[in-house]
Amino acid sequence: MAKESFDKEIQFLRMLVLTSGAFSRQQFAERLGISVHTFDKTIRRLKEVVNSMHPHLPQEQNKDFSESLRFSYYDSTDPLLLFLFRAKSVKESESQRISLLLAAMNDQALTAMELLDTCCSSLPSGLPMPDEKTIRSDLKYLEEVGVIKRDPGPRPYRYRIKDDLVRTLSDEELIDLYDFVDVMANTQVPSVQGYLLRDGLKKQLSRNQFEQHAVEPFLYKYHYYSRILDEAHLFTLLHAIRHRRKVRFLYFSPKSEKSYASKNTNPLFERDTNGKTQKTLPLKLVYDHQYGRWYLLSYGREGIRKYRMEGITQIEEDESVDETWYAEKQHELAEKIRYSWLIDTGRPVKVRVRFYNPGGSEPNFVKERVILQGQWGQIVYEDEHCFIYEITVNGTTEIKPWLRSFGSSCEVLEPVSLRRQMIDEWKEIQAYYESV
Amino acid sequence: MNLFEKIFNHQIISRLEDSGTFMVTSHERAWLKTMLEHPAAAEAFTADTLDKLRSALEPDQVMDISHHLIEKARTMEKQVYHPLLRPLRRLIMNKTGIRITYEIKGGRVKTDHSGFPYKLEYSMVKREWYLLWYHTRHRALMSTRLNKIHSALPEAIEPSAAENILKIIGNTLDSRKSEAIIEIVRVYNEELSRILYAFSSFEKSVEYDEEKDTYQIKVSLLGDEMEYLLSKIRFLGKRVRVVEGDYLKKRMLESSTKALERYEADRISNEEEVS
Repeated sequence: MAKESFDKEIQFLRMLVLTSGAFSRQQFAERLGISVHTFDKTIRRLKEVVNSMHPHLPQEQNKDFSESLRFSYYDSTDPLLLFLFRAKSVKESESQRISLLLAAMNDQALTAMELLDTCCSSLPSGLPMPDEKTIRSDLKYLEEVGVIKRDPGPRPYRYRIKDDLVRTLSDEELIDLYDFVDVMANTQVPSVQGYLLRDGLKKQLSRNQFEQHAVEPFLYKYHYYSRILDEAHLFTLLHAIRHRRKVRFLYFSPKSEKSYASKNTNPLFERDTNGKTQKTLPLKLVYDHQYGRWYLLSYGREGIRKYRMEGITQIEEDESVDETWYAEKQHELAEKIRYSWLIDTGRPVKVRVRFYNPGGSEPNFVKERVILQGQWGQIVYEDEHCFIYEITVNGTTEIKPWLRSFGSSCEVLEPVSLRRQMIDEWKEIQAYYESV
Repeated sequence: MNLFEKIFNHQIISRLEDSGTFMVTSHERAWLKTMLEHPAAAEAFTADTLDKLRSALEPDQVMDISHHLIEKARTMEKQVYHPLLRPLRRLIMNKTGIRITYEIKGGRVKTDHSGFPYKLEYSMVKREWYLLWYHTRHRALMSTRLNKIHSALPEAIEPSAAENILKIIGNTLDSRKSEAIIEIVRVYNEELSRILYAFSSFEKSVEYDEEKDTYQIKVSLLGDEMEYLLSKIRFLGKRVRVVEGDYLKKRMLESSTKALERYEADRISNEEEVS
């Protein structure tokens, strides 16, 4: 069976969100390696989904799509990109039927035959009438995804909607639940299921006549907006890990220089024909808070492999491997990444850094940040002007940007190579601004 | 578990909305059950509600993500919930005024100031909650850490006054917005994806100059966000250059000059020790 793939939509949305407004239709289509016609068709389809989920968004025909997806901090905390997960195509007759069935089971427990009657009498004329077999398979599906449950008792079985979660809650409790889901979806990973639940709860609250203003009291500062797009593959990979299965996918390395040399390619990664087919055994998934990105760490012919989630497309499961051997590989990986600032598996080095305290009566935000973000590093010396922080990390590449972000409050002492690199980089940066 | 289930289809969802049906899948319940294991749950609900939720979710599975997923470079999570969140969110919802006692820099305490709560803001960087509120007498928009609030009690306010304050806040936020333009230094175009990811947490638009093959990122932000933007620019180092925004340029020059002075001073003092 052909599985509906959302790879194109995910690539499309990621590029739209990250490069917001940079490219014309023509340029955009060229960079994704698709025709302008396909581009327009995809935009139309995505627009349709967005508009049905967010009727309050501006709908003018000429309104730029990327504009309507633009992140605006104070307006709404709805994660707009969530609509991607609403885009699975369903036939008109099926979507009508399923929503009718659910609405009918909302009030009472019904048998398949009773539901068939309801359907036949309420479906708009012009749509094909379902038969008993169709209804039974709908019920089976709805029970599988956990939306309905079968009442205990003899045949014929009765089904009802499974909404105990909210049915037993008072309005006050519903608010607490909405808040908790909102906070956790926004501060923890994974988040997509949380955002989906938040959506449902929000509608439930507005049915109970809470205003929009009341529903969204929370803001989250500095979120990585596009991170939920990468969660699309997360559960396929988790499934593979759970069952110790290899996976196959077409990988587009975001780093490939070639793709940037050619004008006709996606600047975010190589176009379709340049992707490489990979077969590998997933071991762990890593979320990097520095950039808001996901990685897959796996075992392949060449040993430990690392992939960026955004470059993975057309993913499929393959054969499973021996349990003991798999545990060994997982253990091996755990050892190798013990000292990874992110995912570097290079040689461990001791990094020694002097941080300078801010002067005056200001709170020591430098130290505060080092303690919060310094992972397993330790402060080994302190006086009134500065403190020394030490950490053993695999290679210095991954920790360097973090150290540099402290500006002149940070001075690398060891290793000497890193110290020299920092000096060189600051010289270059200084040169950028000296003429000003 | 597949996130692209037909049950999540947008047409089904909007039809259910019309009929007032609440639908929740086992995916969402498993997620919730997992999140309820987080210590924050104890602060988010009354003991009663928590019991109710746990028993409603009793037959559901927990996600086994913690075995397979690692988070890296995460800021230590010192606070996810705060005891003031529940009462304050209700004051915001009811558009009630507040009488607030809070601590400012240097530890001085401001007692019983009248104000209007606007939003609760969580900083993913500091992992802490802040209350954004309007100080009635000072006519100023304030941001106060929940940890620094000693008390916040409801105080009656006319609905028309509340609406008025909300309007003022909207205008203030708009007027405080400024813009900066950051260019990706062309030789680093191949790192475009990573660089754009780093700026994706800001309100921004990107321009591409086809002739020069350069990207410029126009970031729109409030004055108090400059520090964070600066730390991002320093984070990316020589890959990006501020092309518009005098304050940012000045600060980048200062940072680099001062950093180099520190390295230089250290070198000289080391040499002196040797000799």
